[in-house]
Amino acid sequence: MASNLNQHHHHHHHPRINGQISPPPCPHLADFLSRNGSKPFLALQDCLRSKPPGGRAAIRRDPSEVPRCVSCGDSSRPRLYACVACAAVSCHAAPSPSSSHAAAHAASYPGHEIAVDVDRAELFCCACRDQVYDRDFDAAVVLFLSTSSTTSSSSLVPASKPENLRKRRRVDYCPWSPDIQERILVGNGSSRLDCESDQKPWGLRGLNNLGNTCFMSSVLQALLHTPPLRNYFLSDRHNRYYCQQKNAKNDNNNARLCLACDMDAMFSAVFSVGHAPYSPAKFLYSWWQYSANWASYDQQDAHEFFISMLDGIHEKVAEKDRCKSHSQGHGDCCIAHRVFSGILRSDVMCMACGFTSTTYDPCVDISLDLEPHQGVSGKAGPAKNHHSCNGNTDSKSSSESCGISSLIGCLDRFTRPERLGADQKFFCQQCQVRQESLKQMSIRKLPLVSCFHIKRFEHSPIRKMSRKVDRYLQFPFSLDMTPYLSSSILRGRFGNRIFPFDGDDADGSNEMSSEFELFAVVTHTGKLDCGHYVTYLRLSNQWYKCDDSWITQVNENTVRAAQGYMMFYVQKMLYYKVSEKQVS
Amino acid sequence: MRNSVNRPPTPDAVEHQEKEPTLQEIINIKLIESGEKERLMELLRERLVECGWKDDMKALCRAFVKKKGRSNVTVDDLVHVITPKGRASIPDSVKAELLQRIRAFLVQAAI
Repeated sequence: MASNLNQHHHHHHHPRINGQISPPPCPHLADFLSRNGSKPFLALQDCLRSKPPGGRAAIRRDPSEVPRCVSCGDSSRPRLYACVACAAVSCHAAPSPSSSHAAAHAASYPGHEIAVDVDRAELFCCACRDQVYDRDFDAAVVLFLSTSSTTSSSSLVPASKPENLRKRRRVDYCPWSPDIQERILVGNGSSRLDCESDQKPWGLRGLNNLGNTCFMSSVLQALLHTPPLRNYFLSDRHNRYYCQQKNAKNDNNNARLCLACDMDAMFSAVFSVGHAPYSPAKFLYSWWQYSANWASYDQQDAHEFFISMLDGIHEKVAEKDRCKSHSQGHGDCCIAHRVFSGILRSDVMCMACGFTSTTYDPCVDISLDLEPHQGVSGKAGPAKNHHSCNGNTDSKSSSESCGISSLIGCLDRFTRPERLGADQKFFCQQCQVRQESLKQMSIRKLPLVSCFHIKRFEHSPIRKMSRKVDRYLQFPFSLDMTPYLSSSILRGRFGNRIFPFDGDDADGSNEMSSEFELFAVVTHTGKLDCGHYVTYLRLSNQWYKCDDSWITQVNENTVRAAQGYMMFYVQKMLYYKVSEKQVS
Repeated sequence: MRNSVNRPPTPDAVEHQEKEPTLQEIINIKLIESGEKERLMELLRERLVECGWKDDMKALCRAFVKKKGRSNVTVDDLVHVITPKGRASIPDSVKAELLQRIRAFLVQAAI
């Protein structure tokens, strides 16, 4: 209990780094700050440099300085520190105190304990032998890096004023468990859903194939068991009778069409007693009406259907609720976007001057490229591995690092800086000409449910035809999205700082919301133009195969071996484990 | 190449400027001046992430912090703990690639 109170206390006084409470400054830093007035690091700020445009921050008195240790003259040591009191550069090594000239300097000159890493522009206490942080210094570094590369108003760091940090207030998450009174209230106010004696989870039933509609069934199965979506409809948040009544008044014949109403009807039917397969005929018909050019019994793409039906729900609901003003990006417009909508950030940096332009785009899913089979061209490491994969060489460690693609690998590639070469030059606002540039994607805001779509349909411009890529893709059951967040990407660029990076001030800093659990996998077997979709669902930690109207229990190895086309992950705190059934 | 122009008195115990710089030092300075060192560092970072080395080091650090307790660990402790393992586990292919890059640089810089 005591430690709990203690933590609460700290919250209000110490800023956080990446969602963590940062420790109080060490006595040496506190002492240095108290002796050096309001701007203790002002002199240091004039020495900030970034070598290649957009590169990392470094400390140099003049741009071409080669820093070397004043005691041993060595310039090649990996860790060189400049004393912030007297600017003496000393080398430092961790193991023994005798090998550190920086520590020796701190020991012989009291008040000279704080130093700055000349190649990282990060503060270090040579007496404590630990990294230290100063909010104003870090803000200055970030500001330097972002103004040296960005001059537009859509700056890299919209909230660049440190004051924002102080104003910020956070309500701490505390898990709720009902006390006795609440338990009674819950018991009296609700009727128990009676699970039948067989082990089948609630709402798990097949969907009849209505003629090449497995593309629809596979996606609907995933949506029916998307926790926040299911909770929304089962708690009567979109009542179809009420919605229709409301629409009747408007007397607009087109307004009668509402995909959310059909979803509501489907949820009611599917989550009723029994396990007989359900025919989503009404839904199919409404969707045909909504997007007329799909109205046929042809095979369709499950992903396109997914996008189309989310659009459908959005359009009808947002229209009726007359909240068009809410742009999709806020995710507040409709249930579809509240669940699936995230925001992507894209930075394009000019390689000549370092100017960065940043754009934000809402998205309801992330489409990922499968890694090209030939390996990443021009990169020695992976290329070597691919040789062994083809069986040409006899490398020992062939299977693990070679060919097998993974979702993690795809996400790494998705957020990796990508060079836009001579053929796709980007217009730089600062240079006023097209320049070679570096593009990097990251995730500004994570959705409640992340849908990853694997681009398995490949178009070859040479052969003028499309084909399907049948390559296997590994995907994890638990996924941490932290490395792909804008805040993490920026932190990698700016170093370790106490600073609210993009997304930190929103829910991005909450570590819990970046952990995801897999709950549905839509798989495809067959060719480009004819094939079959099957969905694997994870309910109460047991996997089920939903193949049209047939539901079978499968073990997780079957799922791992399946050829994933769309993967649905839900934020871990919204994922219900085995305990889901037992409400007593 | 005097390195203490505007600097307050510091413990400049030995004057090194008189000494003939070693070949290693010359190479290092050339690498820095040309910006090649920065590029090599970036390449190395990328490779170490790709081959999972960084994740391994992160895991080692996490395990150590868990063992010692969050507030009883300094950066130097971490560096000390992971350095031997980190040095030993860099893939040969990465070393070879870097060596080749440095060789190519030396040829081109005609040192």
